[in-house]
Amino acid sequence: MSCKEGELCEEGRKRKVAMLVLGFMALIFVALSLMSFLDSRGQVIPKNVQYAGFEAVQGKRVFQAYNCMGCHTIVGNGAYFGPDLTNTYDITGPAWLEAFMPSAASWPTQAAVQVQLNKPEIAKEAGVDGIEAYLEKYPGAAERIMRRSGHASIMPNLPLSGDEVSSVIAFLKYTSQMDTEGWPPVPRVAGLTFPHATQMPAAAVSTVVSPQSGAVANALEDPVALGEKLVKDTGCTACHSTGSDTVIGPGWGGLYGSVVTLNDGSSADVDDAYLTEALLDPNAQIAAGFATGLMPAYTGILDTDQVAAIVAYIRSLGGE
Amino acid sequence: MTLIKYETQRLSMRFFMVMLVLFLFQTGFGLLLAMQHIDPTILSGVLNFNVVRVQHLNLGILWILAGFIGTILFVGPLLSKRELAAPWLIKFLFYALLVIVIWNVLTQYFAQQGIAGWWMGQPWLHEGLEYIEAGRAADIVILIGFAILCYVVLRTFPPLKQWTEIHWGLGLGVLALTAVWMFGLFFIERLDLQEYFRWYVVHYWVEGVWEVIHISLVGFMMVMMFKASMKSVGYAVFWGISLVWLSGLIGNAHHYFWIGTPEFWQFWGSLFSALEPLPLIFCFWHIYLDAHQDGKPIVNMPAFAFLLGSVVLEQVGAGILGFTMTFALTNVWSHGTWVTVSHAHLALFGTFGMLGLAAAYYAVPLMRGIRNFDQRYGNLSFWLVFTGMLGMAFAFAIGGTVQVFVYRTLGLDWFGGDVSSAMYFAKIMVPLFGLVFTVGVGVLVFDLLTIGQRSDNEDKSSSHKSLMAVPAKGWRRYLTGWEAGIWLLSMWVFGAVITAGLLSFNLAVVRDGDPLLPYFMAGVGYTGLLMVTLLFVWRFISSLKARSASPAINNRP
Repeated sequence: MSCKEGELCEEGRKRKVAMLVLGFMALIFVALSLMSFLDSRGQVIPKNVQYAGFEAVQGKRVFQAYNCMGCHTIVGNGAYFGPDLTNTYDITGPAWLEAFMPSAASWPTQAAVQVQLNKPEIAKEAGVDGIEAYLEKYPGAAERIMRRSGHASIMPNLPLSGDEVSSVIAFLKYTSQMDTEGWPPVPRVAGLTFPHATQMPAAAVSTVVSPQSGAVANALEDPVALGEKLVKDTGCTACHSTGSDTVIGPGWGGLYGSVVTLNDGSSADVDDAYLTEALLDPNAQIAAGFATGLMPAYTGILDTDQVAAIVAYIRSLGGE
Repeated sequence: MTLIKYETQRLSMRFFMVMLVLFLFQTGFGLLLAMQHIDPTILSGVLNFNVVRVQHLNLGILWILAGFIGTILFVGPLLSKRELAAPWLIKFLFYALLVIVIWNVLTQYFAQQGIAGWWMGQPWLHEGLEYIEAGRAADIVILIGFAILCYVVLRTFPPLKQWTEIHWGLGLGVLALTAVWMFGLFFIERLDLQEYFRWYVVHYWVEGVWEVIHISLVGFMMVMMFKASMKSVGYAVFWGISLVWLSGLIGNAHHYFWIGTPEFWQFWGSLFSALEPLPLIFCFWHIYLDAHQDGKPIVNMPAFAFLLGSVVLEQVGAGILGFTMTFALTNVWSHGTWVTVSHAHLALFGTFGMLGLAAAYYAVPLMRGIRNFDQRYGNLSFWLVFTGMLGMAFAFAIGGTVQVFVYRTLGLDWFGGDVSSAMYFAKIMVPLFGLVFTVGVGVLVFDLLTIGQRSDNEDKSSSHKSLMAVPAKGWRRYLTGWEAGIWLLSMWVFGAVITAGLLSFNLAVVRDGDPLLPYFMAGVGYTGLLMVTLLFVWRFISSLKARSASPAINNRP
């Protein structure tokens, strides 16, 4: 395939032949492409996927707006800083994602997942009626709670609103339903039994024990000490700092006894009643600058004594 | 040696200069990414990994484009035997490039707040899709910029009947550059369809358009540097382009294996993209032939070294490493891991980046009016960036192999816990070699920015004289075609070992949890391939340097 000076090499004719062959190949390519997106293939499309009333298409916009692909892969494309997200919904289920995403810098505890599962619309999407059934159905959630809860994650906290979180979950529900021709390959071995797997930390074992068990309460008589333990076990500190800075929700340092402005313009004193209501019915009063629906309700997760202990703990951090 | 024959050739200078500055910044962001991989808390919440990565990718694309534009402007008048058309448009293009760079650096930051600037259903500030993250506003300005480039090139070129194959290559190249860009200008709801069209831009740019521009420019540089015949180079360029397009058009299918498109793409993708190395072997062979068509000493060694590096890394990074992961049975493992990162760094920086640097080393001293510049900085920087990049590619490949085993075979998906700690050795190696690379970039940028303006730039060194004492023997002996073929063959042998290593992930023994086979083959394959590459380039350059020993050195212009 070389041509010396003065030789007759018929470049023009050969170029035309090459163009013709290229055109023929383009036809093959276009035909294959058209077949790829025929409705009859039955590939799921995002328009038909909703999660708790949120649209998968809207979730895709949020997914792009935060450039999730800049750290994660989706269908294997993107960056390799975090895990592939294609099947995450299938593995962890919606309640775990709801608990994780608003405060992504730390891994959610079982209690935080349970709080989400108590919401009827999430339980309906999850298709289970209790945390035990949930962890059985979504082994990724069980593994994450067992090994990771209480640890920092390498993902930063993002300013996702409650609606954005649910939209992204709708998008991940869509991607998990996609037929990706068997990718990623399903492991044949139980990876956790290999030495590569980080061993389960002893501290994480205690968080598997539900705070409802009462064992914790009996062990600690002092309500402030009990509250301090509960806020860690329940995952409160994923969103609330014990200083005065805002992580996801307001910081507790100096909060008690202060006066907060609410989003309707009125103001309220932070006292025992206010904090108790904030725990059990958080959307009743929302402080200005925070989104409604972000804080889950802890009704049914924490009993009256436990709520009182947490309030006592926050009071101990307060200004007055 | 080609001199500056047309005043408008000098318009390329500003593009080369901005290329160098962007390259420096891109390298800095890359180093930061490597550090964040080791300690994810670095700047977390301030400058998140995804934002840093966008800058690293987009600046990389933009400086490669700046290098292309600079080179095209430099050779355009020579190819056309007249001044460039519409110089004022080129000046406008330059300022538009600066505005786009600054605009895009700033708007990408909004990803941290989740603000994409949605308006009329389109993301105007940034769009969060890998490689084409630029928002719609920037997209449109870039499209206008490409249109200007097309206009200038086509208006400058002689009438169609007088076109040589290099005119055809560049003409089709800039038109296709513009056409393909338009597939990235729409928000698409379906993920599979969005990925389908995203690869139109990414794959057809890299493996269609850039490759074509690359072949044409490498060809013309061989004409300029070695007085190779325009006709024979043109004929080689024609075959190179034909092979690129005939393999690459359907070869794009290797991106459609797992994105939700049907299984039949696995057949088409595996078949055609396995043919994609053919034009690269062809190009590799031609640089050997053209560099050896006379025995004269190389006048501008840094320019030739980067040109050689470009063609060799195209062979190794794009050709061989691309080949290893192009089959559905190997791609199912390599997809979405660091294994692909190794390929991408060698292929993108190697092939396209080094071409721009070679052209800059060729053109900048000419435009500054120095005949005999001190080449030691240039040669040093070449070896630093070349070994730095090979080392990084090695680290990515080894890290990727571990990642495949831990993440895919064992199914461990805790990146902060299981996956990162398993990859830690490789993660440490990246910034170490990255530092070598960065020092090389520093020397390179300093040298090219100040060449002709420093007091010491006229070559007073004795580097040539000391070489004169070295006869063309041993490591410096004449490089025969047969020997070059053996080097190429051994690269492919190691490539085959790497491919077999990726294939071995399918074996029952590996899937049951024994990584010995893939680890061993990756260790042998990648080490062998990258060492052979390093030695071959050393051997090639040494044999050419020994030419300086010939009396011809005194006859340099």
